[in-house]
Amino acid sequence: MSELPFKPSQPLTMGVELELQIVNTRDWNLTRGASDLLGAVAKAKHTGEVKPEITESMIELSSSVQTGHAGLLAELRALRDTISAAASRLNLGVAGGGAHPFQLWNDRRIYDTERFNHLAGVYGYLAKQFTVFGQHIHVGCADGDEAVYLTRMLSRYVPHFIALSASSPFQQGEDTLFDSSRLSVVNAFPLSGRMPPVDSWQAFEAYFSRMRGFGIVSSMKDFYWDIRPKPEYGTVEIRVCDTPLSVERAATLAAYAQSLARWLRLERPQPSGDSLDLVYSHNRFQACRYGLDARLIDPLDGASVPMPKDLAETFGRIEAHAAALDCRPVVQALLMGAQEQGNDSRRLRTRFKEAQSFPDVVRWQCGQWMQAAH
Amino acid sequence: MPELAFLPGLPVASSQIVWFGVLLLAGVLGGEIAKQAFFLPRITGYALAGLALGPEGFGLLDKALLRDLRVFTDISIGLILFELGHRIDLAWLKRSSRLALTSAAECAASAALIYWTLNHFFAVPPLYAVAAAAIGVASSPAAVIRITADLGAEGQVTERTLLLVALNCSIAVLALMALVPWLHLEYQGGWRTILLHPLYLLGGSFLLGLVASAITLQLIEWLGKHRDAQVLLLIALVLVTVGAAIALKLSVLLALLAYGALMRNLDRNHSVVAPDFGLTGQMFFLILFVLAGASLDLSAAGAGIAIGLAFIAARLAGKTAGVMAFIPGSGLKMRQGLLLAAALTPMSGLAVILLQDTESLFPEFGRALASIVLPPVVLLEIAGPIVTQLALKWAGEARPEAPEGTNR
Repeated sequence: MSELPFKPSQPLTMGVELELQIVNTRDWNLTRGASDLLGAVAKAKHTGEVKPEITESMIELSSSVQTGHAGLLAELRALRDTISAAASRLNLGVAGGGAHPFQLWNDRRIYDTERFNHLAGVYGYLAKQFTVFGQHIHVGCADGDEAVYLTRMLSRYVPHFIALSASSPFQQGEDTLFDSSRLSVVNAFPLSGRMPPVDSWQAFEAYFSRMRGFGIVSSMKDFYWDIRPKPEYGTVEIRVCDTPLSVERAATLAAYAQSLARWLRLERPQPSGDSLDLVYSHNRFQACRYGLDARLIDPLDGASVPMPKDLAETFGRIEAHAAALDCRPVVQALLMGAQEQGNDSRRLRTRFKEAQSFPDVVRWQCGQWMQAAH
Repeated sequence: MPELAFLPGLPVASSQIVWFGVLLLAGVLGGEIAKQAFFLPRITGYALAGLALGPEGFGLLDKALLRDLRVFTDISIGLILFELGHRIDLAWLKRSSRLALTSAAECAASAALIYWTLNHFFAVPPLYAVAAAAIGVASSPAAVIRITADLGAEGQVTERTLLLVALNCSIAVLALMALVPWLHLEYQGGWRTILLHPLYLLGGSFLLGLVASAITLQLIEWLGKHRDAQVLLLIALVLVTVGAAIALKLSVLLALLAYGALMRNLDRNHSVVAPDFGLTGQMFFLILFVLAGASLDLSAAGAGIAIGLAFIAARLAGKTAGVMAFIPGSGLKMRQGLLLAAALTPMSGLAVILLQDTESLFPEFGRALASIVLPPVVLLEIAGPIVTQLALKWAGEARPEAPEGTNR
């Protein structure tokens, strides 16, 4: 009996978790609304799940297991409508975005559960600063070995997910100059970063038992890695995305992850080996800081490539797989149109430039998330 | 010239500045003692400090001085009602009609029960019982606004308390205005007065609020979204509006409520940054409560303790019944509903002003009415804020107490 059993799931199924901001509709700051909102949502019928997160200004919605983009999008839209209806009855706003533009971290309140109080005790101010909002994408894996393989191979594409999802340009009332400032907050945690270079589930289990033996971790939940295997769900989980401003973009990002996974799984391209470790942090920083204007270093040949070019080349590689998964048009628009359309951080900055007021930006964000139904 | 003429003569002539400072000082100390030694709301401490200073206490503040300081009360009331009006979010009421029904039920049930209790058990004549019931509909906006701010309370109970208070104050003001013709009839006013006086009060006050909000929105449009400048501008315009309402013999209460509510709901471009009067506002609140405490007439409460307790019980029962009737299906739990009803308990400053307004129009009637309404007001001046504070704490909506050393 293994210590960390990997529950196999149907390969390439997928699911999405979105952490959302709860704001008041008076000054548009984050507010204590999670328990009231969850109470109101609990009475409505819906698939998927709506759960509390670490602070009272945050909820998390998660889809059920989906096989394709269309199904996922339909479910996310239904969930969004349920939450929006409940929020509007309570006069609360719900918004996407990786960070609230002007909340002050020490105003936050920890959601009252044993685990969250424990985390607040361990991490002190970091727990409250962790008031950031991410999207997690799960892709199903046949077994643990596949999860470890995908975790390693998807690392190469982490900068893409960061730049495409980035929606946290503002923090604490300041323009951070980053496209995704949210990840800098995650970096502060001692167990953030990457999975160690293991190449099988057996090796991963051995690593995990040692860490548990040291008393450093007690479950997989304690790792805040960019990508991690999730043995309870039988998935690989990408955790670097900011929550986009709309569920539409969230579904598209998931479709991109699914297409990449299919390509990796079926074509087994050449691994980048050690050199990826050398460039990983650099490329990740570039994506956080510059978003779609980042230049990435190709771990295979050392060339410096502009993000849009790298996205376009990637699309060329996975096009057939996106087509096989019935999501070619959305993935194409995401990767090929990235530069022209811009990411959500760019949209937020444009909005701020027009309004010159952070509360206005948040009001607009709520409009984007709650009503952007088309 | 005597050599020591530079020394002040005895007794030292005190000025209003000194008294103003003493008032402030007593309030600050009273508030902190209440908060830190007794875990009571600060405003209860303010009122008790005022009581100690006033004619019923050590007599440092006499009635003449209290009259001189009346201007501060007027300003405070203006700021509070403006803020209260700004809490009336018509969009929310439109989305959630249940909330409007809750407000109507809460007001109707508390008025009906107060009327019945006074008329049935204390043989209060109908006209007086109706006027007392109308005043009893209103919760104290100052107490509720100050306590939610002091506790940093956030959540559904807090938000709904503020909205219901804004609505029940507006309804109480309008209800008393509707009584004006009846009172004129009772006191043999001419038909012109009977007809035109309420219309002048209602229309004039509303129009003043409308003009003030239109001017504010224009100015703010031009000023841009600078929070500090906006706040100062709002304070200035609130003062002008209060002064204008007094000069025009309009209702300060209605004019300022209308000003706040119209400014919020006519602001289509969202150009007004949410008003927060900050430390300035706090200072006026403090003065208001100290003065209210100093003006408390304990003997009135002593004489009418039975009627006061019955009034309070009827009012609480009515508000609870009205709120609870619409809790199922509102997304709130029953427990939250009960706490919401309890949070509406305070009744103080606004009731006194409504009384004074009535008294200035109908002196004889006003004095008789005071003997009915003052006992519950005096009792609730102290007890009301404590109930609201407990309700919001039990609802889990108060900001958690900061650990030692982090003073927030």
